[in-house]
Amino acid sequence: MALSSVSQTAFLLALLSLRTYQSEVLSEPLPSAPEFLKVSVNSTCQCLHLQWTVHNLSHHQEFRMVFQIEISRIKTSNVIWVENYTTTVKWNQVLHWSWESKLPLECAKHFIRMRSAVDTAKTPGPRVWSSWSSWEEADVQNSLGQDPLFVFPKDKLVEEGSNVTICYVSKSHQNNISCYLEGVRMQGEQLDPNVSVFNLNHVAFIRETGTNIYCKPGQGDRIKGTVLFVSKVLKEPKDFSCETQDLTTLNCTWDPGSDTGLLKQLSQSYALFESFSGKKTLCKHKSWCLWQVAPESQDMYNFTLTAENYLRKRSVHLLFNLTHRVHPMAPFNVLFKNVSATNATMTWKVHSIGKYHTLLCQVELYGEGKVTQHNVSVKVDGAHLFSGLEPDMEYMAQVRCANGDHFWKWSEWTQQNFTTAEAAPSEAPDVWRNVKTVQGRCVVTLFWKPLSKLQAHGKILFYNIVVDYLDRTSVSELLSIPAPANGTELPLSQCSSQIRIMANNSVGTSPASVIVVSREPGNEEVEEERVKGTEDGFPLSWKPQPRHVTGYLVEWCEHPQDPPCDLQWKNLGPNVTSTVVSSDAFRPGVRYNFRIYGISTERVPYLLARKTGYSQELAPSDNPQVVMTNLTSHSFTLSWKNYSTESQPSFIQGYHIYLKSKAGWCHSGSEKAVLSDDAAVCCKYKIDNPEQKTFVVENLQPESFYEFLVTPYTSVGEGPHDAFAKVTTPDEYSPTLIRIILPMVFCILLIMITCYLKSQWMKEKCYPDIPDPYKSSVLSLIKSKENPHLTIMNIKDCVPDSIEVLNKQEGTRKSLTETESTKPTYLYLLPTEKRYSSPGPCICFENFTYNQAASDSASCGHVPAPPKAPPSQLGLLTSPENLLKALEKNYMNSLGEIPAGETSLNYVSQLASPMSGDKSNLPINPPEPALCSEYKMQMAIPLGLASPPSSGSSSLSSVTLLDEGEHYH
Amino acid sequence: MIEAPFCLLTLLLLPLSPGAPITPAEPISQAYSLALYMQKNTSALLQTYLQHQGSPFSDPGFSAPELQLSSLPPAAVSFKTWHALDDGERLSHAQGAFLALTQHLQLVGDDQRDLNPGSPILLAQLGAARLRAQGLLGNMAAIMTALGLPIPPEEDTLGVVPFQASAFERKCRGYVVTREYGHWTDRAVRDLALLKAKYPG
Repeated sequence: MALSSVSQTAFLLALLSLRTYQSEVLSEPLPSAPEFLKVSVNSTCQCLHLQWTVHNLSHHQEFRMVFQIEISRIKTSNVIWVENYTTTVKWNQVLHWSWESKLPLECAKHFIRMRSAVDTAKTPGPRVWSSWSSWEEADVQNSLGQDPLFVFPKDKLVEEGSNVTICYVSKSHQNNISCYLEGVRMQGEQLDPNVSVFNLNHVAFIRETGTNIYCKPGQGDRIKGTVLFVSKVLKEPKDFSCETQDLTTLNCTWDPGSDTGLLKQLSQSYALFESFSGKKTLCKHKSWCLWQVAPESQDMYNFTLTAENYLRKRSVHLLFNLTHRVHPMAPFNVLFKNVSATNATMTWKVHSIGKYHTLLCQVELYGEGKVTQHNVSVKVDGAHLFSGLEPDMEYMAQVRCANGDHFWKWSEWTQQNFTTAEAAPSEAPDVWRNVKTVQGRCVVTLFWKPLSKLQAHGKILFYNIVVDYLDRTSVSELLSIPAPANGTELPLSQCSSQIRIMANNSVGTSPASVIVVSREPGNEEVEEERVKGTEDGFPLSWKPQPRHVTGYLVEWCEHPQDPPCDLQWKNLGPNVTSTVVSSDAFRPGVRYNFRIYGISTERVPYLLARKTGYSQELAPSDNPQVVMTNLTSHSFTLSWKNYSTESQPSFIQGYHIYLKSKAGWCHSGSEKAVLSDDAAVCCKYKIDNPEQKTFVVENLQPESFYEFLVTPYTSVGEGPHDAFAKVTTPDEYSPTLIRIILPMVFCILLIMITCYLKSQWMKEKCYPDIPDPYKSSVLSLIKSKENPHLTIMNIKDCVPDSIEVLNKQEGTRKSLTETESTKPTYLYLLPTEKRYSSPGPCICFENFTYNQAASDSASCGHVPAPPKAPPSQLGLLTSPENLLKALEKNYMNSLGEIPAGETSLNYVSQLASPMSGDKSNLPINPPEPALCSEYKMQMAIPLGLASPPSSGSSSLSSVTLLDEGEHYH
Repeated sequence: MIEAPFCLLTLLLLPLSPGAPITPAEPISQAYSLALYMQKNTSALLQTYLQHQGSPFSDPGFSAPELQLSSLPPAAVSFKTWHALDDGERLSHAQGAFLALTQHLQLVGDDQRDLNPGSPILLAQLGAARLRAQGLLGNMAAIMTALGLPIPPEEDTLGVVPFQASAFERKCRGYVVTREYGHWTDRAVRDLALLKAKYPG
């Protein structure tokens, strides 16, 4: 079919050309009918490309012709574009024309036709058009392939903000296809049943890798999409500028703006074109480019900088004279020559910018906290003399240069440091002194402040001190104190002296500072005044002195509480009568003392005033240590003599004495006060004199409990309300009683001592010794009568029942009965011979009546010792068998094995139990009537073990006889 | 990060050298270890890939099972069919799939070098996946040699298709390849586990 239409068109064109030829013969330009050679579609640029020829042109004939081109979409009647394309046509020339479609060409059929006319623009009148060519169809839908869905255009590159049309072509006749731009559904319009179109306005740049647009058919079908590459808009380069440093190379710079590079598009490129020379260079960098200046003298340059990317081209222009764009290189070889204490010469070199040009250089000098600036004209080498410099000072100098003929830009700075030479110190050191007398000699302590850097003019090495004695009797003394000392102690051989102090550096000596020490004592009796410190310091003022003074001096200690009190001073002029002393070292609650001296014309300082004060007063943190004395039932005395009012954190104005009592009422002289700490009610006594440090609390109740507190008060408050001391007043009558009781006690003691000393006498009187029959005077009487029948009963013939041994020291009374103990010892013996059957000579005593522990052998030997028999068992020993059994048992048992109910008390009472017989037969002999009265041991027997009383006596006597040897151990 | 797989591959490729052991247990074990190692990274590769492609790929939960590539055999297979396969068939399928995957991963790597030139992590992961697939191919060849099975010849599975693809098509293609790489790796782990049980070391 296409072939037939082409042949048909050719036939028609042939006819047309015939007519044209006829018209030409009629001397009128005849329209030439165009003949399409090719209509092609470029999907990448969405372009329709037309190629055609005009046939009826003769050789070497050229016509300016107009071709009117019509483009229809979907159907021929829907003309969407009409354009007249004018060009010069030669014989046999193939003509080209392209048209870019907004709508992707794959989305709809397009039809093209054209007609031609000879351009009659020069000659007025209507154009004579040829007939239309036949419609040419451009349809790429057929070549799409077999996929059910297509989205167009593919990978389109657009600028940000432009309008784009997207379409899809569905071959499956589905109508539920939804399309999305980066996840947001797009609303489209249907072009035909299979094609929908989406118009995107002002597309935004999202990312360099493109914007996804995709369409989703129904479930299970593959998604289809396209990527829209949105480029940032290429902007004009900003700040385009060219300059040269050496007149051989131009350096052109600009601000490129944002990068427009994408996957589908490289970043913009830059090119530099110079119109006078016609040269062009492609720039390798995005923001700068080098241009070689031609060796021939070209002064004027007209540059065009062009930025270009796939979509756009931008250019800027710059016209300038080369010598007006000189930006010199930084100076070099900066040196300092002839550096003295006050002068220095700086030299530098510059890079030449041609022999006809002069450079203007700027020199800056930094030092002493200020900047000075100088301008210097330079051809090749620059030099500048700095004068009026400070000695021994470090300076920084810098220099920069610019074209002096046509200023464009300064070069970079070149810096260099230098230090001026030292000079002798310019100022005398600031000196002050403290004079004291040690063992009759004046000792001066000198203090001086180090010279400032501006005064020292170099490193201070030592201080020279010259002492000249004013009475000229002593030789001057010279001392040298090495730096960095700031003082020295100087014993003077005489007080009246003049002291000169000089600082020395390596170059020379400073002027001398003169201090005169006077023999006269200072006016130490100046009354101390109080001064109130402020935030700015202590304002001090004094009366102007009638006599001539060369100045005043204020002296104080920065750390008055520490031993090296850090003496400070401040020199003031002769016309000054007030000053404010301030220091960072001042602390609240510290008392500072200031002494103001006037300096006489003879350089003798004399004390004018004394001031004391606090930078800020603080309430006392401690209360005085109070001692209580003279406690009576109605009063006591409080004393705090050791309390120093000087070392308190504020001026003490007086004291408050608080007294707490249960009475709750206060006497006159005190007032009720409520302490905020514990809301207790107290009586408050007030002392207005800070130096009154005793107080008598009176009108107290006897035998009452009181609490008291002494606290200082100041203008900023009083001391802490803690630690009340406690006191209880004594009884009113106690002193009287003591006056009576003490003598009585003394008397009793005296009597007791007297009794002790006279004990022998007392004994003699009250308890005389029993007379010794052998020493009796009766004996001598008997012996004298020579009567042998008369005898005295020998004590050996008597079997004693019991012997009492008295503590008698006489050796003559030592006998069998003697023991080591001073206590009376009782020995019990039984009568062994029946011949002593009559009562009389055989009388024994057992003098103790109660023995609590039978086992306690120390109390009485009456208890049988070895068997350690519990006495409770003794009562059971009614027969020899029982006795033997008891013995066996007792030998086997220990004390710890004594059954609990068997222990008992035993005691001895008088028992008239007559006993007789041989002691060897005792266990088997029945008891016989006793001739001697004796004391017997009796036991308290537990109820369960109690035996009949009849058998008790015999058993007891048998026990007493158990072993005689045991008693006399 | 890439060096470690390289070392691993060097070790695993050793059985390809002449004088490889005849017993299949060792290459099976090595292949199984490599497949397990690969399995740990397939999900990360797919996620990294999708994150770099923009919507809808980077949308949470994106899945397009309908997207397939005719040049890449799908790993999805019914369990019955898979179980009925003998060792040789199973290995042969995997061999063919990983051969195609290595070529496709190369293609996707090239695509992404164009589409996402500023994403070295993605490019590195794609490169690493390709090398591991090649390593697994080598191991499978060793297993087949040890089992006395014929090794299928290398084929050009891609042909001339891909060069005219649009950017969106390339993104889709990369998605299918990275997805199927994961699926085939999962399947290879199962295949090799079965073989490992059959030929214990």
